[in-house]
Amino acid sequence: MLSLFSTYSPISGGLYLGWTLGANDAANIFGTAVAARIITFKKACIISSIFIILGAMIQGYKGIQTVSNITDQTISTAFIITVAAALTVTIMTFLSLPVSTSQAMVGAVLGIGLSIGTVNFQPLLKVVICWLFTPVASMFVAMIVYKILGFILDHWPMSILTRDKILWSGLLLTGIYGSYALGANNVTVSTGVFSGLLPGVSDFFLALIGGIAIASGVITFSKRVIIEVGSKIMPLNAFTAFIAVFSMSTTVHLFAFVGAPVSTSQAIIGAIAGISLIRGINPTSNRELKRIAIGWTLTPITALIFASAAYAIFI
Amino acid sequence: MFITKQKKVEQLMDNYQQQIIRCVDDFIKAVNEFISEPDSDRLRKNSLDVHHAESVADDVRRDIEEMMYSRSLFPESRGDILGLIETMDKVPNKAEESIRLLLNQHIKIPKMLNADISQLLEVVERCVNIMLEATDKLFANFIGSIAEVGKLDEIESHADTLEAAIIDKIFSSDIDGFDKILLRDFIQDIASITDLSMDVGDRVRLIVSKRRV
Repeated sequence: MLSLFSTYSPISGGLYLGWTLGANDAANIFGTAVAARIITFKKACIISSIFIILGAMIQGYKGIQTVSNITDQTISTAFIITVAAALTVTIMTFLSLPVSTSQAMVGAVLGIGLSIGTVNFQPLLKVVICWLFTPVASMFVAMIVYKILGFILDHWPMSILTRDKILWSGLLLTGIYGSYALGANNVTVSTGVFSGLLPGVSDFFLALIGGIAIASGVITFSKRVIIEVGSKIMPLNAFTAFIAVFSMSTTVHLFAFVGAPVSTSQAIIGAIAGISLIRGINPTSNRELKRIAIGWTLTPITALIFASAAYAIFI
Repeated sequence: MFITKQKKVEQLMDNYQQQIIRCVDDFIKAVNEFISEPDSDRLRKNSLDVHHAESVADDVRRDIEEMMYSRSLFPESRGDILGLIETMDKVPNKAEESIRLLLNQHIKIPKMLNADISQLLEVVERCVNIMLEATDKLFANFIGSIAEVGKLDEIESHADTLEAAIIDKIFSSDIDGFDKILLRDFIQDIASITDLSMDVGDRVRLIVSKRRV
């Protein structure tokens, strides 16, 4: 019994990381809809949880393979990686800096890889390129969808209530799609590094428990972040909220096909920038831009330092 | 669920609009009959019709409000529709208030003003019809409401011109000083129905603007 515990207990780090991811990232999917009282928090939680787990089980294993290929892992290094990433996310959240859990995890993986001198740069390069393209791709998707859907809504004779109904259904469907994409793309962040390290545990099972960890973060701790993101960071109406979440979901899902874990936060910021550009308004202040840049840069570096330091101290 | 609520709101709004036009039509009929044949008893009877139509409109308004407060629809649309019916409600209220003024203060309308008042009432009727057309379009083709609101601008300014001309005629005449004041108030009341319709038009414009991409 004790040996079973010592074999499988390191995965607790991954589950904790998955939990923080769920608590933080559900806001990007349902933040506006919940804050605007279009969908109740309870409904958002149920939908999110179901589709995150489905996304993780159906498509999540691809990303698991990419991350586990960056460097060779042992059960101890996998535990360090997940704890270092989770600690980074906690500190960044405490400092109110925008944080990407996937960047924290890849930063920690790289930290371990550099410490043991076995970094496979090919999958790493793929991940970094995908990071750079995430906000840009999301921005372009948002601009195109905004133009097309905006034209249809402005020219199709309908009642204001029918318009509401379309947007309500749209927000619900994009919420489902966004949750699925989050599970498919980000489950690797939670349990990906444990791939092949736990006896009798397949990538599919890792995806399943990773998905459950993310879903539990959504259910237990996402309410505050959802309300804050929905009412402060994204003062969008139903139409622009739909565009933002749809663009984010499409982009994140696209990168799930590529097998690279990307940030839903970066995707949604890209989408908002695209909407703002089309509407000819400044998406954010210079101070906020600086904060975003600092957050995006510091997250992988901090995780890298934590993981390297922990490796030097404990291994 | 949403479809049923939408249908119910649209039906109630349609009913509310019908009650408003009924109230305004009864008001116009009452004033027209009074100026062609000043009969206090008939005016009293007609004022009851206006009052009844206004009460029914109030009942329908309350039904809509109750439905809105029972968490139907998007919060944004809920607020917009509540604001809209609150503004629309002032139209039948003003019609009832005007007929009461005419009845309770025993206003005498000189024959020389008959044609002018009839003309003003025609404009009021047109204005209210267009206002209702604009609000109706919110529930069928909301972008098209803006064209109706544009027509309201024009009619309201025509009503202002007529009102000014009638008041000028009143004060240039040899009517008793006190009667002049009462007549002026009555004319202003009638004309203000177009101002209130314009307020509804402004609401409609705002509702559409918020939803334009």
